[in-house]
Amino acid sequence: MFAILCVTTCYFSTSMFIFVCAGVGKSCLLLQFTDKRFQPVHDLTIGVEFGARLIGIDNNPIKLQIWDTAGQESFRSITRSYYRGAAGALLVYDITRRETFNHLTSWLEDARQHANANMTVMLIGNKCDLAYRRAVSTEEGEQFAKEHGLVFMEASAKTAQNVEEAFISTAAKIYKKIQDGVIDISNESYGIKLGHQTGAGLSGGRDGSASQAGSCCG
Amino acid sequence: MQEAELHDLSDDADYAASQQQGSASIMRCDSGKKSSSSEPEGAQIVYLKDNVTIHPTQFASERISGRLKLIKQGSSLFMTWIPYKGQSTNARLSEKGFQLQTYRNLYTIRAVPFADVRSIRRHTPALGWQYIIVVLSFGKETSDCTAFTMFDCLQANFHPPRIPSNGNKGGVISIVYQYMLRTLSKEDGRFLFLLCDYPCIYINEKLCFAGLAFPPLYFYNGGVREFLATVKQHVLLMRSAEDANVFLVNDFQNPLQRTLSSLELPRAVSIASVPSTPVSVGESSSQQNEERTDVSASVPQYNGRQRQKGHDPARDISIQVLEKFSLVTKFARETTSQLFRETHSNGFGPLERRNSNQSALDYSHKSSEYKEDVPVQSPVDPDPLEFDKLSLVWGKPRQPPLGLEEWATFLDSEGRVVDPKALRKRIFYGGVEHKFRKEVWAILLGYHSYESTYAEREYQKSIKKTEYETIKNQWQVCTILSSISPGQAKRFTKFRERKGLIEKDVVRTDRSLSFYDGDDNPNVNLLRDILLTYSFYNFDLGYCQGMSDLLSPILFVMEDESESFWCFVELMERLGPNFNRDQNGMHSQLFALSKLVELLDRPLHKYFEQNDCLNYFFCFRWILIQFKRELEYEQTMRLWEVLWTHYLSEHLHLYVCVAILKRYRGKIMGEQMDFDTLLKFINELSGQIELDAILRDAEALCICAGENGAACIPPGTVPSLPVDNGLFYSQQDDEVL
Repeated sequence: MFAILCVTTCYFSTSMFIFVCAGVGKSCLLLQFTDKRFQPVHDLTIGVEFGARLIGIDNNPIKLQIWDTAGQESFRSITRSYYRGAAGALLVYDITRRETFNHLTSWLEDARQHANANMTVMLIGNKCDLAYRRAVSTEEGEQFAKEHGLVFMEASAKTAQNVEEAFISTAAKIYKKIQDGVIDISNESYGIKLGHQTGAGLSGGRDGSASQAGSCCG
Repeated sequence: MQEAELHDLSDDADYAASQQQGSASIMRCDSGKKSSSSEPEGAQIVYLKDNVTIHPTQFASERISGRLKLIKQGSSLFMTWIPYKGQSTNARLSEKGFQLQTYRNLYTIRAVPFADVRSIRRHTPALGWQYIIVVLSFGKETSDCTAFTMFDCLQANFHPPRIPSNGNKGGVISIVYQYMLRTLSKEDGRFLFLLCDYPCIYINEKLCFAGLAFPPLYFYNGGVREFLATVKQHVLLMRSAEDANVFLVNDFQNPLQRTLSSLELPRAVSIASVPSTPVSVGESSSQQNEERTDVSASVPQYNGRQRQKGHDPARDISIQVLEKFSLVTKFARETTSQLFRETHSNGFGPLERRNSNQSALDYSHKSSEYKEDVPVQSPVDPDPLEFDKLSLVWGKPRQPPLGLEEWATFLDSEGRVVDPKALRKRIFYGGVEHKFRKEVWAILLGYHSYESTYAEREYQKSIKKTEYETIKNQWQVCTILSSISPGQAKRFTKFRERKGLIEKDVVRTDRSLSFYDGDDNPNVNLLRDILLTYSFYNFDLGYCQGMSDLLSPILFVMEDESESFWCFVELMERLGPNFNRDQNGMHSQLFALSKLVELLDRPLHKYFEQNDCLNYFFCFRWILIQFKRELEYEQTMRLWEVLWTHYLSEHLHLYVCVAILKRYRGKIMGEQMDFDTLLKFINELSGQIELDAILRDAEALCICAGENGAACIPPGTVPSLPVDNGLFYSQQDDEVL
C-alpha cells in the first residue's frame, strides 16, 4: 500500500499513500512516477520510504508526497500509523500473483479503519506488462473496485503504462474533494497542508503553515 | 599589572624537568578514592590560607569565606577549601540566608587532587582582591578507570540575574557561580561523585556557556603568589605561552586537553562591548563585613552598579576559561540536568547519594522551594540552532580496529579468550579488522564460546554443518513435494508463499555490493537458502522482511553457509522479537527509547509529546535492522560488532538512537517538524551519520544515564541476552503476505 501525501506548492498540500502486499512493485511504481525510470533492483522497503513529485492540476502546482510502506503483514501495526495523515491511497496488487489480490480486502479494511473517511483510494493492478502470466483478470479487478467504491487501473512500473495516470488521477480526485468542500484543508488530518501563499489562494490564506513552506516551494 | 614580577614563578626549564618525576606519579594517583574525604590520611599541610572567599552570586556582598589548604600526601598534592562553619555574612533564617548555607555546602572543595587540575589563572588587579580560578581537566586517560566529569545545572538552586532587556541590544552577560559540578570517576563499574561548582554565563538571561572550573577564589588577605609558589614546589607548573597569568598544571601532552582547547566556540555576542559584570571585584570592600539584607532591592542596585563599573577584567578571564569548556558543559547541562531532576523527583537517586551528603540534601530541600520562585529558567538553550554547531565531546576517542597481532594477545596457546571482558572492551572502543571478523564475530555472537579452543571450534563447525544440512533438507523435501502435483502443492501453500517472499526479498538485498550483484549470484542463493532453513529452524517466527538485511553482512563476513546460518541463529536469539507478528519486540524498544529521551533530553521529549510523535515510529528502521540502512556497509559491520560486545549496555543501540536524535534536536525543534516531516527527515539521514562521533555520544549518554537509564528499559527488551523459553516468540499466523 502506498500512502500519497499530495502537497500543493502554492496553497495547499495533500498526502497520499501506497499500500499493498509485499513484493508487488510498490517501490518500482513510485520510482517510475517520481524519477521516470524502472529499477528492477531496489532494496526492499523497511518501515516507510518517501517519494515526491510536483504535478499540475487545473494549473495549480501540487506537490505529491508519497509514502511507500513496507508490505509485509507483520509490519501492519506500525504502517497503520503512517496512513492517518493521508489524503489518498493507492492500493496495489500484482496481476501475476492471485494471493496479492486476495489480501486486498484486509488491507482495505485496515485503511478504512485507520485513515480518515474521505481518503481517496485507487486500486492498481501492477505488472500488466506480464499479461502472459496473468493470474487476476482485469474484470475481477474492476469488480472489486466497483464493490468497494475505488477507482481502478492496471499499470506497469516497468513500461510506465498508466503510472502517471494513476497518481495524477488520484491527486485530481483529492483536489476535487477539496474544491467541493468535502475535505477541509485547514484540518491537517485530511492529509492536506498549505504551502506558500504565492498565488491566488484557494483558501484565502488559512493556516499557511510556515513549516511546510520549505518543502513545498523548494 | 605591576605585581606581575612579584608573582613571577621562574619558568625554569630545569626546575620543571626536576619535577617531572613527581608529577608523573601524581598523574597515576587515584583521584576518585580521595575525592570524598576532606583531608586524606597521613597528609601534610603545605599551605594554609584563611579568608579565601567565593562569591556565589553576582553580588559581591554575598560571599562565603573559608580556609584554603594545600595538602601533600605521598607524592600527590590536594587542594581543599572548606567554608567556615557558622560563618555568616547573611546566613539568617531568611530565604537568602538559607540559600547561602546551601551554597556553602555545594561549594566546599574536598581534596581535589592536582592531577585533576588543568590550569590555574590568577588575577591580581591593581584595586580589589587577588583571585584565582582553578580549571579542572577531565577525561584523563592516565588511570585504568574512565575518569571524566559530569556537571549538573542546579536549575532550581540558582537565582537568575534579573537584567532588564532594554538598553542592552548587544546582549547582556552575567556570570553566576551557582551551579554544581560533579566529578565522576568510574571504578569497578561504580560511580563516584564530587560536588563542586562552576561558573556559568548568561546572555540575555539564557544560559549560554558554562565552564568546568571552580568559582574564583578571592584571597582577601593576599597570598596568590605563595599559593602558586607552593603548588610549583609539588607539581609541574608551567606558564602558558599564550597568557602570562595562566599556569598549566601537569599533563601537557594529554590529547584530550588539546582537543578541548581547540574547541573554541564562535563568540555569540561581542563580549567586550557589553557592560556587565560577573563578580564585583574591588567593588564592595566596604561591604565586606556588612550583612546583605534585601534581596529584591539589590536587583535594581545591581544594574545601577554595573553601569558605573564598565569593563571588568574578571569577566574576560572567566569567559576565556568558559569558552574552552563550553562545548562539554553544554552537552552535560542538557543531559545531567535531566538526570538530576529525574532523581530528585524520585526522592534521591543512587548517583547523588554517595558523596554529596549534606549538600545534596540541602539541595534537595531547596530545589523544590525554588522551583516555585524561579519558574522561568530553562536549562536548555531555547535557541535550537546553537546546538547544531556543537559536538559532544565525551565518549572516549575511538581506537583503531583490533588488529591481528593484538588479537593474538587475547588468546592463549590453544585459542581460548583469556579475558573476555577485556576483549569486549577493546572491540567496543574500536571494532575489529575485517580480515579476522569471521573468527571474532562467531565468538561475539555466542556461536563459539570464549572458552573454546581452536580444536573445539573446528569440531563444532563440522558438527553444526551436519545439523544445518539436516534442517535444510526439510524444506528441500517440501520443495520437491509441492512440485510433484497440483494436489500436493495445495498442501504447501504457506510454504510456497514464504519461499516466494524470501526469493523476492533476497534479490532486493544489497545488490549494489559486488558480493551480491549480478545475475545468478551464488551468494544471493545462499541468502535464500539460509533464510529458508531458518524459517524451518524457527518455524514460529518464520521469515520476516528485514531478516535478509541482518543476514547479509553475516554471510559477507563468514563466507560459509553453515557458519553464517548458525551466527544468524545467534543474532536472532537477540533480535528475533523485532520480527514478532504483533511487533511487541519493536514496541517495547520504542517505548524504552521514549523513556530514555525523556531522561536524557526532556525538552525534546516534550516536543515529541506535543507533536504526537511519542510512538517513535520514525526510529523504526533504525532499530529493526540495527541501522543497516543508515550506514555504509563497512560502518554497519563496525557498529554491529560494537553493539554485540554488550560492553556498556546490551541496549547500546537505544543510546545510539538518542545520540542521533540529540545531534539533530535543534533542527527538529527549530523547524517545528510534525510527525510526517520528522519521519521523512529521519529517513533522509541515511548515509549522513558519522558513526564514530555517534558512538562516542552514545557511550557518554549511556554512562550518564547510568542506572536511571537502565531503569528506563524494561527487562526482556530486545536485544537482551537470549531467554531460553518457548514463549519468547508470539505465535505467528504464518501469513506471509
